[in-house]
Order: sequence, then structure tokens, then C-alpha cells
Amino acid sequence: MTRITPDRVVGIGALVLAVIAPFIVSSYWVGALLTQMLFLGIVAASLIFLSAYGGMISLAQVAVYGIAGFVVGNATTNGNTKGLNLGWNPWWGVIAGIAIAVGVGLLFGALASRSVGIYFLMITLTYSVIANLTFGQVTDVSGFGGISGIPAPGAIGRVEAHQNRLYYVALVAAFLVYLLLRYVARTPFGLTLQGVRDDPIRMASLGYNVNLHRTIAFGFASFVASIGGVLFVWWNGHIDPASIDLGATIDVLVIAVIGGLYRLEGAWVGALFFVIVNNYSQQISFIGPRFHTLIGAIFLLIVLVSPGGLVGLWERALELASGTHKEPSDRTPIEVGPVESHV
Amino acid sequence: MNALKSKWKLVTLAALVVLAAASVLATTATARSSASTIKIAVLSDCQGAFGSFDNQDMAGVVTAMAQFAGAKAKNPNKPRDGWTGGSINGHPLKLVGVGCSNDRADTAIKETKRLMEQLGADILIGPLSGDESIAVANYAKQHPNKTFVDGSAGAQDTTLKVRAPNFFRFNGDGAMWNAGLGDLAHNKLGWKTAAVIADDYSFAWTSAAGFIAEFCAVGGNVTKRVFPPLNTTDYSSYAQQMPTNVDGTFVAVGGAGLIPFLKAYEQAHGPIDGKKFIGNLFWGTPGQFEQLSTRVAGAYVGGAGTAGDLATKAAKAYNAQVGKVFKTIPPYGAAAPQAASTFTYGFYVNTWGLLAGLKANGGNIAGGQKSLQAAIKKVRLATPYGPLYLDKNNQAVINVFYQQLYEKGGKLAVKTVGEIPGVTQTFGGTFSSSTPAPGRTNPKCVKRSLPWIGKTIHPPVTG
Repeated sequence: MTRITPDRVVGIGALVLAVIAPFIVSSYWVGALLTQMLFLGIVAASLIFLSAYGGMISLAQVAVYGIAGFVVGNATTNGNTKGLNLGWNPWWGVIAGIAIAVGVGLLFGALASRSVGIYFLMITLTYSVIANLTFGQVTDVSGFGGISGIPAPGAIGRVEAHQNRLYYVALVAAFLVYLLLRYVARTPFGLTLQGVRDDPIRMASLGYNVNLHRTIAFGFASFVASIGGVLFVWWNGHIDPASIDLGATIDVLVIAVIGGLYRLEGAWVGALFFVIVNNYSQQISFIGPRFHTLIGAIFLLIVLVSPGGLVGLWERALELASGTHKEPSDRTPIEVGPVESHV
Repeated sequence: MNALKSKWKLVTLAALVVLAAASVLATTATARSSASTIKIAVLSDCQGAFGSFDNQDMAGVVTAMAQFAGAKAKNPNKPRDGWTGGSINGHPLKLVGVGCSNDRADTAIKETKRLMEQLGADILIGPLSGDESIAVANYAKQHPNKTFVDGSAGAQDTTLKVRAPNFFRFNGDGAMWNAGLGDLAHNKLGWKTAAVIADDYSFAWTSAAGFIAEFCAVGGNVTKRVFPPLNTTDYSSYAQQMPTNVDGTFVAVGGAGLIPFLKAYEQAHGPIDGKKFIGNLFWGTPGQFEQLSTRVAGAYVGGAGTAGDLATKAAKAYNAQVGKVFKTIPPYGAAAPQAASTFTYGFYVNTWGLLAGLKANGGNIAGGQKSLQAAIKKVRLATPYGPLYLDKNNQAVINVFYQQLYEKGGKLAVKTVGEIPGVTQTFGGTFSSSTPAPGRTNPKCVKRSLPWIGKTIHPPVTG
């Protein structure tokens, strides 16, 4: 029998709130903030998956998400925008976008799989810069101005006119991604990946191919990130190199850290926090365009106060409430990793 | 057992906090103002290559609001603070927000969404630069019940390709603004060959397209085209690529990049000979050209449909009007001398066009703003720089001016030396919705006839 825990109740409550959100909050909240939270959460979840289960903090997730977005943009636009303007059916665009992003992700992963720690971080940062500059320089597929007027599939319709449709598609996608990531973490592959994370030398001596596991994990995370990229271009209708620049890359890392780098739920918690702060801080005159200073300060505060992010704060509050406070409270995902009951 | 109870209390508390926060935020987002108020938002660049012109943008908007709708600047020394008062036919004109973009289309779209969807603006004035305007025009297409007027953006595609029926542009595009320069270079300065360097984005491509199309049309040959990315800080590798075995060079590097480029060029090829250079509007933009120093004296400059030294009553009155509404426009100082800036005038004339449309239909924005959009389409303005009307793509047909830089009292000064009346976006039949968009390799260098060749007017100027 499934045990009822506060985590599960809050999770189900959040899901119910998300389902009924279009009936209780404004269309701007649904169309702009919550939809954005869902796809940013998906991308951040791909980063958290790699970090928590593979011990790989990747800065390439936004690059992969961008590759999927640019492919969809080139494939599905038809006429007066930059890029190839292939005019394909949007669903073919989605398939091509995800397939190419996963292919590039596997290549990225294979090249980076022998690196760990700061070197892995630097290699994936390089991927991010390469993607940004490539789309900025190759005007055949984008150029500085990017691709505008990217259509969503007919079933979703014009996003501006039917904001709830894209929201529900994003919600279903986010929920499925969450379930998939949880499932994969418990498969033999996921368990092996955690072994690789904790002690790659021992895993290699046991006969596991460490680099192959890391590469496949990177490819799988690219699949997840590419779903976020597709939802992004449907939502935004536009993508350009600035959508995947260093700022965007750091934003996703900030989301993951603020939410909590060792629990998948942290991706969406961090994304919701980030999107709301981003949106509403603009209206405070002395902050206005200084949003990144504000979010940087919050980031610093979170790292100092709760290395486990907002989700970590929640866990600590539960522990304090139940008098079962555990040490160390400043565990890092790479050192400790996820606890089975959490995910 | 007590521990379990405490846990559940915490869950309940958290749920209540989330619900309360959601309801407060949802309420603020759905707040509506009275039906008769017309909510206006402005999309400016406060960051990036053109961030220093942010206050010029707002100065243009507020000056038009003061002149044509009875508004008043909130702060005569800080245009970004916006205006108070102002109405059309009893409908108050409320500024609901000023967007802060950064020349990137992605940011422009995010800010446009915030202004139109969160703050609930009915009308958007802006943006400033090329690719931003292409993205905003595409956004406009998806929001037919809202109205958009350009700010100062001059990418060709915005109106020629996107053609959103609810996006209006009362300024010219980058190519139109350079009408007359090719004729000048070839037939007056004697250039047979030229090199072109332009920022690698839509506006600069359009700006270069105007020079290339006309220079080639009259028989010149463009032998080299170099495109550094916008926001480049080190131009040395690009300056090295510029050939010196050409008769002249056209420079469409703008904003914060112009002075670093000129310095890099001097380091690579020695002192600049002004007569071998033609620049686009950034060489003559008030607030910026003063920083170029006298090393570029003698160079000719493409305009932006503006001529600050025009000795006509209307041009003088416009300068005075900007000086009347604002004392200073930061960071460049006194307001009146900045009236002819591309940005001040662009935002001014677009706001004026909007207000003229609102006046014509009595400030009625009901019915999906269709009546307003139809009224704007018919607007004709007697601007400080000549008559203006919109073509079938909602693109202004304007008079274009070009200038020359010269030394005056040891400082660089600018004077208007040529005028081409009635320039259309088709550029004498060169461009259409089916021709390739301006880019790194377009337009091709082709000889053809243009209607204004040899017919440049020399307008009366002050000083």
C-alpha cells in the first residue's frame, strides 16, 4: 500500500492546482508565466537528472534546447522570416527537432564523457557558446535576428488565441517527463549511472562501460531538454541566438540551483520562482532592468542558506517539524545523490 | 505522533500561503482600468548597442504627446519618466509601461508580451532597432486587435515582408535613408569601387543595401562586404579585412560599435581620410557624432529622414518644441540639439502618426481597433522634414536628407547638403516583397536606373 507522506500530498496538491489554474488565475498567468515555468522546468529537470544521477553538471542543456527550437523554426516556417523556411507540417518539425537535438546531444556527450568536475563544466560551456555563435553566424539557418512566426500544430492552434491549449500540452509534457525521469532513475541503467556517479573506477572494474553510460545519459537528457525547446518555440513563436546565449544558459543553472539540484521537483519549483521574480521585479522601479543583480543575490543567498535549494528548505522544515533533523544538511548532489524515497 | 501532526500543520500552512499568493498575483494581473482610457506602452532599448539612446526614444514620444494630446513631461530632465495628462477626444492616454529591450529580438518579444499581456496595453510604440521590429511585427500579426507603431527601427523586412496590417511605420527604412549616397559617391566623389562594412543584422544589412543598390545602379562596383556581429567590441580583425585599394568605404557600423571600429581602422590602415568615407546615420546622430572627433571631417553621412539644420519654419519649430518639453536628454545634454536624432524623431513621428489616427476616429479603440487602424492608414503628416504618407504596407514614404561632417571651431559639425523627396520603400523599383531580403550577399551589384539620380536638391540650411 502506498504510504501517504507530506511530499506526496503537496505534489498531488500542486498537480491539482496546475490542472485547475486556467480557471482560477488570469490568462496572462496561464499563457505567459505558468507555461514558461513548465518548459523551463523541463530543461532544468534535464540538468538536474544529469547532476543528481550522473554527477554531471551540464551547461549544454540550453544549447540542446535551442538546437531543437531552431530545427523546428527552420522546418515549419513558410515565407517571410530568416532560415530555411521549409514549411513542413509542425509535427514533422517536432520529430526532426528532437531527433537532431538528441543526435547532437549524443555527440556532445561522447566527447565530454571522459571529463569530470570542472572540466566537464567547461566542455559543456563550450558547447553552449558554439551553439550560440553558430546560429548567430550562419545566416542560412538563423543569423542575429533569428526566426519569427513559428507556428504551433493545428491541434494547439494560434497560441495567442488558445493559451490554455499550449498550457495543458506543456503540463502533460512536464508530468510525463517527470514520471519518465523517475522511472529511468530506477531502471538498471539509472542504477548503473548512479554507480558511475559515485565510483566510476569501481564500476569500470566491474565491467561497466562508464563512458557509454555517461554518453547515453547525456543523450537522454538531451531528449528531455529538446522537448522544452519545442514547447519554447511554440510558446514564443520566435527564436534567435540570444534565446540560447550565456545569460539563458546561466538562467537554467540558476533555476536548477534555486529549486534544488538533487530533486527533480526542484526544477519546476525553481522555474516558478524564477519566472515570477523576473516578471514582477521589472515593475519595481529601482530594480527594473537590474533583474540579474537581484536573481544573483537570491542565488547567493540560496547557496549559502540552503544548498538543497527551495526544495531543500522544505525538507528541512519538515525535518524540524517532525524533530528528525538529519546531518549533514549541506549535502551536495554529487557527494550524496538522491535518496530513493525522494524520487 | 506529535511530529507527524506538526508535519501536516506545515503542509496546510504551505498550501494556504500558496493559495493566498496565487490569488493576490492573479488579482493584480487581471486588474482593468476604465473603458475610456487608452493604454499605451513604449518599447525602448535601455541596454545593448543602442541603450544610450533610451531617453531620446522617450523624449520623442513625450514631445509628440505634449504637442498633439496636451500631455506634460513628468520630468523635463528625464524623458524616461514619461508623461502625465494627455487625452484624445476625452479619452485619457495612459502610459502603462516602458519596455527595456537590448537590440535582441528575443528580449523585444519578452518585453512586448509583458507590456501587452500583463500590463494590458492597447497600443505599443516601438521598438528601436531592426530585428526587434521584425519580431514585434510578427507578434502584431498574431494580435490583430491591438495596434503597433514603430519607434525608430529601420529593417526592410518589417514592413516589406512581414506586412502586419496592424503595424505602422512612419519612419523610413535603412535603405531609404541612404538614398542619394550612391549617386553622390559615384558621380560627385568619383568613386568607381567601394568596400562596405556593416553590422551583421537586419537594419545594417538594409542600410548597406541602400548604398550598394544605388552605387551599383549608377555604375559603381562594390568589391568587398564585411559584416562584424553587432555588439562586437574588438574590430581589429574586421578592420584588417577592409581593402585600401578601393576608392572609398561605406560604413554602417552603428551604436556603441562605431568609435571602436574607427579606432581599429586607424590602427590597421593609418589616419582616416574623411573624403574616402561615407557613413550611415550613426555618423550624424546628435549625441554621438560629436564623439567622432575631427578625424572624420569631410565624410558624407546618410541621414534618417532628418535634417537638424534645415532652415524651414517647420524644422525650427520642431527643434524648439523638443527644447520646450525637455531641458536635457541624458546622457547627451541639452534637449533641442538632439531633436533631429534618428531616435528622438523616429519615436516622435510615429507617436504623432498614432495620435493623428486617434484624433481622426475620435479615440475609438472598440471593435478590435479596426476603426483606429483604418484611420491610421489614411494619416498624412506635414512633418518638419516634408510631407509623409503610408504606402499599402503601412510604410512611410518620406523625404530623405544626407549630410557632410566638417570642422567648425576645432570641433566636428554636421551640415545637410542633399535632399531626395518622396523616397519609397521599393527604392525606385529595386525592392519588393518577392526580392531577396537584404543580407550579406544581397542585393547584388547591378546597374539600373533610379528616378532620383542627378536630381538631388540642395535644401536651405541654417549656420
